Formats: sequence, structure tokens, C-alpha cells
Amino acid sequence: MLQALYLLLEGVTVIVPVLLAVAFMTIIERKVLAATQRRVGPNTVGYYGILQPFSDALKLIIKETVIPAQANKVLFYLAPVLAIIVSLLGWAVVPFGTGLALSDFSLGVIYTLTLSSFGIYGVLFAGWSANSKYAFLGSLRATAALISYELILSSAVIIIIVLTGSFNYTQIIESQIPVWFIVPLAPIFILFFIAILAETSRVPFDLQEAESELVAGFFTEHSSIIFVLFFLAEYSSIVLFSTLTSILFLGGYNCPMIFINDTYLNLESVILGLKTCIFCFMFVWFRSTFPRIRTDQIIKFCWVSLLPMVMAFIILVPCLLVSFDWIV
Amino acid sequence: MNTLLIYFLFIPLLVLILLALNLLLATHNPDAEKVSGYESGFSPIFGQTRIPFNVQFYVIAILFLIFDLEIFYLVPFTVSIYSISSYGFSIFVIFFVILTIGFIYELGNNVINFSTRE
Repeated sequence: MLQALYLLLEGVTVIVPVLLAVAFMTIIERKVLAATQRRVGPNTVGYYGILQPFSDALKLIIKETVIPAQANKVLFYLAPVLAIIVSLLGWAVVPFGTGLALSDFSLGVIYTLTLSSFGIYGVLFAGWSANSKYAFLGSLRATAALISYELILSSAVIIIIVLTGSFNYTQIIESQIPVWFIVPLAPIFILFFIAILAETSRVPFDLQEAESELVAGFFTEHSSIIFVLFFLAEYSSIVLFSTLTSILFLGGYNCPMIFINDTYLNLESVILGLKTCIFCFMFVWFRSTFPRIRTDQIIKFCWVSLLPMVMAFIILVPCLLVSFDWIV
Repeated sequence: MNTLLIYFLFIPLLVLILLALNLLLATHNPDAEKVSGYESGFSPIFGQTRIPFNVQFYVIAILFLIFDLEIFYLVPFTVSIYSISSYGFSIFVIFFVILTIGFIYELGNNVINFSTRE
């Protein structure tokens, strides 16, 4: 019993900073968007508006939940719950420092890919259960885009596995001590980043939320707390994928030896956080820069341009390893 | 008892607590207009939701199914790449050539094309 409590405490120490990071991600997004458009952005609640996401969340929790009469009630509630659970479960295998992971799972990469596939069910159920035209069209488009870019994501990850020979995140980070994978695998990094932009449905791939055509896409009918769950799921997966990008390509918590210590001030985690912030900023930066493209263009771009490219790299990288006698 | 199991139980509990908070704190007084579907100010016409949709979405789902399987056939190869010899590698190349021929056939049949006007 005491051991279970202890394990629960471990879970809480991961989930509370994650939820805080998600809250601050929303305020970063609003502040950066405001700065790029020469506005002030939220600046009233707390100092410089940093408490804005908390007041928004509290407001949405005490709002009335309106469920449309024609909706399928069970699936209508299940969809956002599934989305948030899946995106929060992804944090279980992320190593925040040397040996600082909830579970140093030997199949960590496969676990992450599986969870990101499960995220599609949330979108699909939401659109189907709401029984509204906008939600239905939004979920169709989102599902088509998500499953297409899922291929690019898993193929790009497979190329990294070819170099490391292990699915374990800690081992992937350890093998990046000589050189970060962004140096030899720069084209793969670009493909991977495009894939995670589409997986988290951000601009320029946010076709399911095309406000001018589809109101709000698959969560048109979702209100109050179930909307918050979708919102949390989206931003949690943005932060999660930023962390994974910095683990897979920027060497995770790798840092010069002088920063490594055993005290409570663990600089390794701070360095991982800084690397993650770069990618979080890039998500917002892309949103303020790129226009949205059409749904058929997105699908065509994936299957005709990205997939042949990533397949070429899948054959190229092992061939290079063989020709330089790294694989005997 | 391991950490993953506790975490898997804890996350749904957290979500349920959030849902329960809303149930306790928020008002609930629905009326006929409020619970009608969102549709540009008019009542939704019966039978227009869950309409037949473009078959392209279905085709893409089928293509995804095949390709995802093919990519996950590569997963065992990627972890064992340092222990299989050049024989294993040549088998991988043959498998990949067959995969590529299939992909070229799909692209040649123009299955990715959404608009029928072109």
C-alpha cells in the first residue's frame, strides 16, 4: 500500500509539471502571436498575463456543458477523454535526466508511436458522435491527414532506430554523446518536424480547424470541460512531441560534463527543457508565418512528395552503414 | 506493482475528477433550442448529417493500412541490423524493392487524386 502511494507520488511529480508546461504553452502561444502581430496580448491576469491560462481553465470548468440532442452521448464524452488520456500517457517513458524516467521501458519508441496512433480515435469519435455536418467533415479531413502523416513519423523514427539499434529512449540519448543526430540526419529532421506539425494538427496543416469553412472542425459541438480536455490534449501533445524531437535529434539531456551533478538542482533536465522550448517556439512561429493549405494538397503532399523521400532515406541510411563497414 | 500500471490508473482518474468538477460546479438547464445542433441559425435538416462522403478518404485509409504494416515489418530489421549479416541485409533490400514497386503502381493509378476535374 505504501509502495503504491510512493509510485502514485512519482506519477504526480511528472504530471503536475507537465500540466503547468501545457498551461504556459498556451500563454506562450498567445504572447508570441501577439508579438508577431504587434499587439500586446493578454496582460491583465497576474504579472504580464502569466496567470491567464489558469483563469481560462477555471472559467471553462464552471461553464454549462451543452450536449446536442442528436448526439451519441457515450461517444461524445468518450472522445475527449480518450484524447487527453492518450496524450498524457505519452509522458510515462520520457527520460528527463540520467535515470529520471517514470518507466525506462525497453520499447519506449514503439509505445510512443502506438499512443500517437490511438490519438486518431479521439478525433474520429468526436466527429461521428456529435452528429453535426461541420464536426463530421472536420473529423474526416483530420483522420485522413493524421493517418497519412503517421507513416512519415514512424518511418523517420525507424531511420533513427537503424543508427541506435534500440527502442529505449535512454539508449538513444546515450548514443548521441559523440554527435547529435540532427547533424548526420538533417533531412530526416525536417521530414520528422513536418510530420509532427501535421500530427498535432498545427498550421499549416490545421485543416480540421479551418474556421472559415468548418467553424471549429471536429469539436464544433463540444463545450466547457470536454472542450478543455481536447484543448489540453492538443497542447500536451505539442509539448510532448517537442520533447521527443529534442530527445531524438538534439541529444536530449546530453550536456558538457561540468553541468552533471547529483544534487537537487539537476541541470540536465533544465537543458532538456531549454531544447524543448526551441521547438515549442517553432510551433508558434510557424503558426504566425505560414498560410493554411487545402485538404487535398495536404494529402497529396504527404503521399507524392514526403513518402517517396522518406522511403529513399530508409534504403539510403542502411546502405551507407553497410558500405562504410559499420554493419558487417 | 510497477510505475506504469499506477500511471495508467492515475491519468483516467485525473480526467474523471475534472469531469466531476464540472458536474458539481456548473449549472445545467438545457432547453430545446440550446441542445439543437449547430447549423448557421436554422434547424438542422434531418438526414443531412452522416452523409455519404468522398470515397477518397476510404482509399487513403486502405493505403495507410497496407503501408503501416509494411513499415512495421521493417521494425524487427532495424533493431537486429547489427547482428544479421549481409545476407539479412540483402533480404531487406529485396523486400523494399517489392514495396517500392507496389508504391509506384499505386501512384501510377492516380489513387491519391482528390479532385476529379484534373
